[in-house]
Amino acid sequence: MTGGRSAAGVPLRPFYTPADGDPGYAALGDPGTYPFTRGRLRPPHARPGGWIQRELSGEGSPRRSNEQFRSLLAHGALGIDVIGDNPTMSALDPDHPMCAPAVGTTGVSLCRKQDFTELLEGIPLDRITLSHSLPPAFAIAGQYLAARDSGLDPAVLRGSAIQPPLYSEDCSYSTFLPYGIRMRLTLDSIAFSLREMPRFHAFLEDTYYISDGGLDAVEEMSLGFLEIREICRRLLARGLPVDSFAPRIAILVNCRMDLFEEIAKIRATRRLFARMMREEFGAADPRSWSVNVAVHTSGLTLTAAQPANNIVRGAVQALAMAMAGVQGLEISTFDEPFRTPSDIAHQLAIRTQQIIWAETNVGAVEDPLGGSWYLESLTGELERRIEAAVRQTEGLGDVGALVESGYFRGIFTRAAGRHSAAVHSGELRVVGVNEHVVPAEDDRFLRDVAEVRFEPDRAHAERIAAWRPGRSGGPLRAALDRVRAAAADPDADLMAPVVAALDADATVGEITGCLREGQGLPADPFEFAARRQPAEVRR
Amino acid sequence: MIGTLGLDQHEVGAMAISQLLVRHGYEVIYLGRFNTPRRLAAVAEQEDADIVGVSVHSWEFAAYAGELLARCRDLGVGLVFGGSVLTGRDRGDLLARGADAVFGPYASESAMLEQIGAIVERVRVSPAAGARPAGRSATGVPNTEDMSADDGTAGAPGPLSGRVVIVTGAARGLGRAYAAELCRQGAAVVASDVDEAALEEAAAAVGGVPGSVHAVACDITDPGAPATLLGAALRRYGQLHCLVSNAGVLRSGPILRLDDDDLRLLLDVHVTAAFRLLRVIGGYWRAEAKAGRAVDAAAVLTTSAAGLYGFRAEAAYSAAKAAVAMLARVAADELRRYGATVNAVAPAARTRLTEWLPDSPGGPDADPWAAEHVAPVVAWLAGPGARDVTGQVIEAGNGQVSVPSGWQPGTPYPLPPLMSPAQARSLMPRVLAGAASPPGLLTAKLGAGGPGGSSPGPRRERRDGLPRPERHRA
Ligand SMILES: NC(=O)c1ccc[n+]([C@@H]2O[C@H](COP(=O)([O-])OP(=O)(O)OC[C@H]3O[C@@H](n4cnc5c(N)ncnc54)[C@H](O)[C@@H]3O)[C@@H](O)[C@H]2O)c1
Repeated sequence: MTGGRSAAGVPLRPFYTPADGDPGYAALGDPGTYPFTRGRLRPPHARPGGWIQRELSGEGSPRRSNEQFRSLLAHGALGIDVIGDNPTMSALDPDHPMCAPAVGTTGVSLCRKQDFTELLEGIPLDRITLSHSLPPAFAIAGQYLAARDSGLDPAVLRGSAIQPPLYSEDCSYSTFLPYGIRMRLTLDSIAFSLREMPRFHAFLEDTYYISDGGLDAVEEMSLGFLEIREICRRLLARGLPVDSFAPRIAILVNCRMDLFEEIAKIRATRRLFARMMREEFGAADPRSWSVNVAVHTSGLTLTAAQPANNIVRGAVQALAMAMAGVQGLEISTFDEPFRTPSDIAHQLAIRTQQIIWAETNVGAVEDPLGGSWYLESLTGELERRIEAAVRQTEGLGDVGALVESGYFRGIFTRAAGRHSAAVHSGELRVVGVNEHVVPAEDDRFLRDVAEVRFEPDRAHAERIAAWRPGRSGGPLRAALDRVRAAAADPDADLMAPVVAALDADATVGEITGCLREGQGLPADPFEFAARRQPAEVRR
Repeated sequence: MIGTLGLDQHEVGAMAISQLLVRHGYEVIYLGRFNTPRRLAAVAEQEDADIVGVSVHSWEFAAYAGELLARCRDLGVGLVFGGSVLTGRDRGDLLARGADAVFGPYASESAMLEQIGAIVERVRVSPAAGARPAGRSATGVPNTEDMSADDGTAGAPGPLSGRVVIVTGAARGLGRAYAAELCRQGAAVVASDVDEAALEEAAAAVGGVPGSVHAVACDITDPGAPATLLGAALRRYGQLHCLVSNAGVLRSGPILRLDDDDLRLLLDVHVTAAFRLLRVIGGYWRAEAKAGRAVDAAAVLTTSAAGLYGFRAEAAYSAAKAAVAMLARVAADELRRYGATVNAVAPAARTRLTEWLPDSPGGPDADPWAAEHVAPVVAWLAGPGARDVTGQVIEAGNGQVSVPSGWQPGTPYPLPPLMSPAQARSLMPRVLAGAASPPGLLTAKLGAGGPGGSSPGPRRERRDGLPRPERHRA
């Protein structure tokens, strides 16, 4: 790719031999055994199983998204990954004046309990997993209430919620909540889920969204581990035993185009995680050592030019991930540079996964590349580099202080600049962009599909506005007061009042407003934003 | 100054371009997320920024672009959009509406830097507040170099890029062909017609071309219509360079049979409406000129061979069209001082008004009567090549283009004071004998009925039968 180096800069030899970094078989272990380099824990004698095939979904109103879920499941998807539209991701209600142009355009609009009920109606929540790419506390509360109200025991729920307290403000998932509140919501929602939804992965570390601005694989995983470690330390500080929560940690990683590096990264991640949990955090339960890894293939590697090429990129990435032994897989669809997936893109991505699973026999054997001198050497090298980067950052002091000082933002910014410079210089070869370019007028194939825009769902915003006044005011106000009071008290649990408020028909926007008010901030994030001083970006 | 709009959260692009600019010696003020046009403009003013850069990673930009364009124009700061979701079509639209540059996915770095450099330079030399519309050089001629940088999203801009044109009667016939051609040449067109449904259909049909169309339905005989159209152009595109007054109807019939309703309609649509348009839009150009902004404007009115030579049994229509020809000539004189030209076109094409013209077997290429052949003449009059052409009437169509010569003073004879009937009897025949005999009236030599006949087709049209659009009042 980059002439003798991997994408993350690991120097490569022209070929590898047994002399190259053979760790010895003990360092690998069989699949399903410590340190899980070759695959995560599975029931004894189980045959290798498939991964959860799912696709990013959600558009328009909850009802419309529900139809989309059903259609994906009908196409054979084995799980659901739902993402919110911009208002939902920002914890704003669709009838907020700034939301009108964005309601439902890039995900589903969710702001109240009823929305979650409508979203999940008729979806077999006891049988499939539901991954939430949503503000986690609300996702967990919403799914919990929807299940309870439909008569399903929340204890059977499976799926995951992304916990992004460190990096969300810098990486497109901003809710304009201060770091302290974000961290509390993370810890409280994990604790809530451990209690109420014990099969649910309430602690999904998402390194996809932080890395898809241009981080390399080492940066990606080191920041991921940094966040996992910080949250674990805080859960431990609350007195939770490590074995109570470690099995509920999962990681959602990125997959770019340097396929061996991406496979090695996943193997290194499993090994690092196992060692960290056993040796550093003292976990004794093997389930705590073996992390569940899911993948979202990189949107950044896809191109607006010649969008059909993206189908090929998704297929080779998915094949690599199948060989890496991931537990869940989402392919960024070919229209990703333009929009959230269209129907046809969804179907193609699911079919890609199905073809790989059903036709290639790639899943017949676990860790089929294990023992490759090259891959084992790369796995070891990435492991060393990721670990060194984690230690180096932790050596800089309190992670929260680094967040507040913009340290991580600097990393993201430099990575984005580095990536775009590499594309422009041709150092990073991208077919259709810096080589094999065709003129725009000849580049129509699938572009017409990709460029179709999803109109804002104004009717849904109106529905919410019309529904508001009919709520019973007394209980609602009381519930919101409790959220505000809890936010003001650093020792209070936030999750119980958040769940209660959502249950009392408070909206996500109202609840978030009270969380801000409890911190002495304006309820409306736009006021918050308007007070910020412009930052000067200098050398 | 760089930020995103609305809830658009994706900052990576904004951050990357900030770094790039900083590396090239620019000072970048980073404003992050959750901005409104108002906040972007306020901070740009407070920080004395030269350019506002908006990073666009979701479709929300569409809802804010108009206001932001207007605010940046008022401040005299440049405005640049960049982001992965911007398509070639967005680019054409935003440029036509006055954005200084638009960068789609993988815009080339050197092209971006070059354009941004040029914009900064231009903004810095121009007076700060109330500066001329962004994206235009001092003469108001679009700076095509700026817009042609290859970012892989669209082809080269047309000669009318950055020009904003109102076309009336754009739903069908000649007006529709004009709108399409103007657009194809890169202009932003405010297309208007009384027939709302046909207008929507026509506007939708103009696709995949560099310019952009904004449809505004109104009845041009409504006294408020000119202000509505001007307002729509300014709101949407922030400026107005050209008017093509084309809306028209035909009411045929000899004088003895043409009733007041038809007479009034013909005069209203052709004469009064054109007059009012010139008054309102001319007033805007005057104000622009008085404010010290260079105006580079053009009005094209629509006359007809009927108005130049007369059509048989079309007295009212012919008189109305003759009035338009003279209106162009006098208006040219009046508006010249504000930087506007006024010309008239006498088209000839097969349209609803002239259905009786022979059908052509082939497409427009092979059909001398296709309206598409007239359109380039109108586009030329609206463009930079015709800046010095004013007060002219141009006949175009059926494979020919010409400038008819109009009224000329004849040989003068002394007029006796208080001429007696006897003197008249002897003098007047001599005066007339020396005059060239007037050309004969045109008849339906083109087909039965013709503009000179009373074709039942046109007569049936729109006796208030057309749907009336909602009135837009400015
Ligand atoms: N077709 C020719 O050969 C010919 C010749 C000489 C002059 N003209 C003139 O060219 C112009 C265009 O005519 P065309 O041939 O394309 O006819 P057309 O009927 O195809 O188009 C004229 C358009 O003007 C619109 N219009 C009519 N009254 C209006 C009103 N009050 N407000 C807004 N819109 C109105 C109509 O809805 C129609 O879409 C007219 O002014 C006509 O007099 C045409």
